[in-house]
Amino acid sequence: MSARVRHPLDFAPDDLDRAFWEGCRRHEFLLQRSSRTGRYHWPAVCDPETGREGMEWVRASGRGVVHTFSIIHQAFRKELADRVPYNVVVVELEEGPFFHSNVVDCPNEAIYIGMPVEVVFDDVSEEVTLPRFRRREAAAR
Amino acid sequence: MAELNGAKAAIVGVGVTKQGRSLGIPERELRREALDLALADAGLRRSDIDGYIACHGGVAFEDLRYLGLGPLFSWSLASGGATAISALIVARGVLALGQARHVALCYGFAPSLFQSRAGTGAGLGGFGYGYPELYGMVGPATSHALHAQRHMHLYGTTSEQLGAVAVTQRAYAAKRPGTLGWGKPIALDDHQRSRMICEPLRLLDCCRDTDGGVCVIVTTAERARDLRGRPVRVLGTGTGHNIRNWYDKSVYAHHDDIAPAKARAFGEAGIGLDGVDVAALYDPFTISVIMQLEEYGFCAPGEGGPFVAAGETGPSGRIPTNTGGGQLSGYYATGFTALVEGTLQLRGEAGATQVEGAEVVLVSGHGGNGGVQNTWAHATALLGKGS
Repeated sequence: MSARVRHPLDFAPDDLDRAFWEGCRRHEFLLQRSSRTGRYHWPAVCDPETGREGMEWVRASGRGVVHTFSIIHQAFRKELADRVPYNVVVVELEEGPFFHSNVVDCPNEAIYIGMPVEVVFDDVSEEVTLPRFRRREAAAR
Repeated sequence: MAELNGAKAAIVGVGVTKQGRSLGIPERELRREALDLALADAGLRRSDIDGYIACHGGVAFEDLRYLGLGPLFSWSLASGGATAISALIVARGVLALGQARHVALCYGFAPSLFQSRAGTGAGLGGFGYGYPELYGMVGPATSHALHAQRHMHLYGTTSEQLGAVAVTQRAYAAKRPGTLGWGKPIALDDHQRSRMICEPLRLLDCCRDTDGGVCVIVTTAERARDLRGRPVRVLGTGTGHNIRNWYDKSVYAHHDDIAPAKARAFGEAGIGLDGVDVAALYDPFTISVIMQLEEYGFCAPGEGGPFVAAGETGPSGRIPTNTGGGQLSGYYATGFTALVEGTLQLRGEAGATQVEGAEVVLVSGHGGNGGVQNTWAHATALLGKGS
């Protein structure tokens, strides 16, 4: 890894997703929800049906299943060289949205589509907490 | 549109520079060379070009003096790999409204220069992906791997079937001078032994980026009849955007938002899929070909792998596909790779991989990598022989 941990807002220069990443600092997994349609969104959007009105950040379950994944063997950046092979997963959250992340505490070979997972918070620096996911028992809902 | 002047557009000039790795030629010089080749091909002069669309993602202003053009407008269009067809759509509109007579779509890109400047050597992997980059998701190979993995899960698609795409297209390229794969056929075993990049994609599932320039000149069908070249008609075009699939969570069930693009293009052309003789599909990765064959309806969902493995995209298959080797084995001029090959097929200039009797070609483009999705924009064009 590079010396400097990049901040999530480095990748989204506006404030749309700020509440989510601030929630992660508190170890709260938030999603944006339209109070009008009940639909959950990630990343933050203007609801395609009802617009900005009634959009709110709410606590979410942090649970989902692996929808798809890849094991990365190529270090696309130099700072990733000591991480390969590592996994990237797309979690289908219980509330609906997809969330791109990593599965931790699980060998790459054991990851499968449909695997139930739950969020764990990784405090990677003073300013940055990243939600990652670990395997959970399907019955533990 | 039908009642507007010149609604029927035609491609009358194509200029393709040398395409390859690390050519050492500046990007605007690639565009100048491509423009000169296209003008000569069309039998037009510089002063005939009254519309200019820069298709390389940069600003258009500085191009004009370097290219020696004095058009009525100079626009930049950036929609990743969908840019070539998107610019074709813009040109159709411009011609139909009588705003210009000869529109040049110009592309020139030298990623090797960019990489040496940036010092990363990361090539196609160099693009960031919004917040997923925090998790090590870098570059389009990863995002396409997510689609490939899901496709394998849903349908049992195999690495060997992905490999069949690479082998089939390399066989085309091996017969086409000027492509990366010229004279270098591969076997399935080569694919299977190539190193893993991001599961399930191996090295030979991925295209290489290349330096090169392309210029395409578009005019009205009426004007095309006065020119010396062999015009190719634009029969229909359409677009779709993947954010619709993101909203409704079907994004990994599809490659792109192809359905509306297809419906629009085929509706305008007034033909069905059985009227298509050759496909030129945007193919940065092998999975892209398999999923597009399904989405366009050449085979059923999930049948793309077996379809290609059975040789149906080869020279004597049901739909010869990416007959110049595509991006995988030909060259990577983003959306122009497919647009050029479609045009060459209809002009009968596709050399050793010419499909006899080709009357209609389906061309696709997709792009705008970044964020949470493999690609955002999709565009379809149906091209037809003659004026």
